[in-house]
Amino acid sequence: MKKSRFSKLVFFLTLVFLFMPLFVLAVYAFNESKNMLWTGFSLVWFERLFTGSRNIWRAFWNSILIALTSAATATVLGSLGAIGINWYNFKLKKYVQTVSLLPLVLPEIIIGVSMLIFFVGIDLHLGLLRIYIAHTTFNLPFVLLVVISRLDEFDFSIIEAARDLGAREHQTLLRIIIPMAMPGIISAFLIAVTMSLEDFVITSFVSGPGSSTLPVHIYSMIRTGVSPVVNALSVVLLGGTICLVFLMRPFFKYIAHE
Amino acid sequence: MNGSDVKIEGIDKHFGDFHALRNVNIHIQGGEFFSLLGPSGCGKTTLLRILAGFESPAAGLVRINGRNILPLPPNKRHTNMIFQNYALFPHLTVFENVAFPLRLKKLGRREIDAKVEEYLALTKLAGQEYKKPAQLSGGQKQRVAIARALVNGPEVLLLDEPLSALDAKLRQHMLIELDTIHDKTGITFIYVTHDQQEALSVSDHIAVMNEGRIVQVGNPTEIYESPADVFVANFIGEANLFHGTIASVEGEMVSVEVKNMGILKVTMEPGDLEGMRDFQPGKQASITVRPEKINIALEKPPDLLQDVFNAFPCVVDEVIYNGFQSKFFVKLSGTGGNGNSAIKAFKQHMSYYSAGPEINWKDRVWVWWKADDAYLVEVHDA
Amino acid sequence: MKKNHGLLYTLPTGLWVTVFFLVPVIIVFLYSFLDRGERGGIVWRFSLEAYRDMASPTFLHILVITMLISLAATVLTLLVALPCAYYMARSKRKSLYLFLIIIPFLTNFLIRIYAWQAILGNSGFLNNLLIRAGLIKNHIQFLYNEWAVIIVLVYSYLPYAILPLYSTIEKFDFSLLEAARDLGTSHPGSILRVMVPNIRAGIVSAVLFTFIPTFGAYAVPKLVGGGKNSFMLGNIIADEILVNRNWPFASATSILITLVTTAALGLYVLANKSAARAAQRKKT
Repeated sequence: MKKSRFSKLVFFLTLVFLFMPLFVLAVYAFNESKNMLWTGFSLVWFERLFTGSRNIWRAFWNSILIALTSAATATVLGSLGAIGINWYNFKLKKYVQTVSLLPLVLPEIIIGVSMLIFFVGIDLHLGLLRIYIAHTTFNLPFVLLVVISRLDEFDFSIIEAARDLGAREHQTLLRIIIPMAMPGIISAFLIAVTMSLEDFVITSFVSGPGSSTLPVHIYSMIRTGVSPVVNALSVVLLGGTICLVFLMRPFFKYIAHE
Repeated sequence: MNGSDVKIEGIDKHFGDFHALRNVNIHIQGGEFFSLLGPSGCGKTTLLRILAGFESPAAGLVRINGRNILPLPPNKRHTNMIFQNYALFPHLTVFENVAFPLRLKKLGRREIDAKVEEYLALTKLAGQEYKKPAQLSGGQKQRVAIARALVNGPEVLLLDEPLSALDAKLRQHMLIELDTIHDKTGITFIYVTHDQQEALSVSDHIAVMNEGRIVQVGNPTEIYESPADVFVANFIGEANLFHGTIASVEGEMVSVEVKNMGILKVTMEPGDLEGMRDFQPGKQASITVRPEKINIALEKPPDLLQDVFNAFPCVVDEVIYNGFQSKFFVKLSGTGGNGNSAIKAFKQHMSYYSAGPEINWKDRVWVWWKADDAYLVEVHDA
Repeated sequence: MKKNHGLLYTLPTGLWVTVFFLVPVIIVFLYSFLDRGERGGIVWRFSLEAYRDMASPTFLHILVITMLISLAATVLTLLVALPCAYYMARSKRKSLYLFLIIIPFLTNFLIRIYAWQAILGNSGFLNNLLIRAGLIKNHIQFLYNEWAVIIVLVYSYLPYAILPLYSTIEKFDFSLLEAARDLGTSHPGSILRVMVPNIRAGIVSAVLFTFIPTFGAYAVPKLVGGGKNSFMLGNIIADEILVNRNWPFASATSILITLVTTAALGLYVLANKSAARAAQRKKT
């Protein structure tokens, strides 16, 4: 059809634009030589990644630990908050709504700087704990938004029906609200995990020496120039990402919504 | 099982500046099918939500079998509600939806199974146990909501416009089924609707509400044939309304002088004679005549008695053919068709052959009705 | 009864964001009005020095560069994202395309920047390709300038713009376009006069979602920028905090970024409110 030809062209060029760098990166992970000149197929960089890069893996496990704990905390707090904000009226509602969504809209560097200054002020030096707190904070608004958009699909009369049929507050919460919101809660958790694994700017501000996460470690590697070990790592992470996205597919609806 | 007696006494409710209910008093007999009927915003749903426990009134009492239930939260009341949008739990199957209140009571498995099956059978849902609400049709969702509300054995079932989301045919069908379920269970039904047809067809008694007040309580015939005021006359069914001045009162016959029409005769029913003390000449009166009680023909019927019949020559303004009936909108000859001079007359097509000559647009016709079929709805000082 | 439960549900979230977000931001605000300590930190003495320092020509230059780079990136992103979102929303393979757009977006942010380093670097993929093809003899310096920063910013935030646009365009009733054409508008005309006003909320979100993070960008200019035309405000903050240890100045710069972004946000809220009010007026 003529009318969508232009947008089709732009769309497919955009896909090339989005995927080409990742593709080049992946191909050169299998290159023998250290620079971007193709000299032959080799798995040497993968070998280096899996055997000779203890720091990368330490950072990787830090990242996983932080991602799971901060996402879990944010999901629990945020889901409860979403239930309160979506279905109840109370005095401080506007305040909680505004302040908890603000971290979403301020540039990361502002959150990073203010948290660093705060942590120094309260003399909190444990790097991983700082990162955990920071990640939970920036994950909360995502959880709130995703769970609220799920709850929005249901009418409040469902809660009234539960009460009318004899359920008390905690029974309504455990038997009706949480199971009903579950797809939203799961996708919120997955988003939070991804956001946490992804974060560089905030982490790099709050983390101290010896507590780097994977992105912070990658930064220290690429700051000095191209290193094929990073290429190999990218391939591994890309694979992981694609698996994760497949897992998340049923929950796409709520992600696209935001 | 016998339904419980519900007494609503002096209920008042405000939402900010909005006065939603004003001194509402209703007595509902145990086991009745009772309708709260009124336009949207009249307070009927608010009243129902007060009975269910979702709203609390500023003043008044609600007694079920003599016991005030207002201090109880919704989960402690022996009332159950059918919501307008069904409010089924989307993550639970049909079976689990119905079993929900029983599981909260921690009944044994056998008992739960037996009860759920009993009510699924009552609502004709056997075989649908393992479907989720999303897989059901509107009518089926409605049935699940009914089964779920009844399984707890409530004393009173509250229904909030339960049929409004269904299409016209299904609505008719579900209404009959609701009536059957009501007969089988004997529970008191309190039914909120804005649809007068629904209310008239199944209710034992109806309370007509307007702007937070109860305007009239009565059985369907009383509501239709003897509306308490102009609002009820207009809201229930269709009505011709004529406003004029009382000219004379002779026994049961009241004559009202109406502009453009002359004298209209109204026969009062013996029961209304008491009230006729107010019917003195010179007072303003409003008369209503149901369109189906007005006859229409091309020629003047020869045997009209001036005293008991009101007859007027008219011109047909509009004809709407409905299959089983025709609606004629006519205006008095020699007038512009404004105010009192526009009349609607509905003619049932009882038999194809006896229909007589067809009446068409712009035809000159006669309309007439008996003084018995007119009703004096309101009288007030000039 | 209802009231208490609502507060109970939101209390943990409310406390968390107050302590770990609002309080830190307030501290930054306070610090920006204090004197710098000799070896980092602050001295509790009121001072406008940090704000006075902003008047320096170097800082103003960086402010202007930051503005220009983030505006250019935002405009470019929008120009690419609009047709993309339009095509996706009209296509039959919506979820596949959505999936394809999201994959690179979920790849680690630094790896995406690194990919561009590997492509645009002096001995990178593109230079090698061009040299081998005989088009150039010596490598071209693609990296470490404002254009590299803009391209990588567009690359990083494109999905943020496509997603909100997609979700509003998808909800748009396309029969309106047909109605407009039926009434005699041309195809571009109908898009401009019927579709754009209806998807305004999506456009504004897309603009905000790209403008705000690019205005506060730090990693991208740090890794692919450099030189005096691609050093951005975010880099100033980092340098002042980590290298010069001038906390009041870093705080003041943070406040400046916060003000600009909240101003952008405020415009958005205002526009929404006036639109809502206009709709209200139409009703009554």
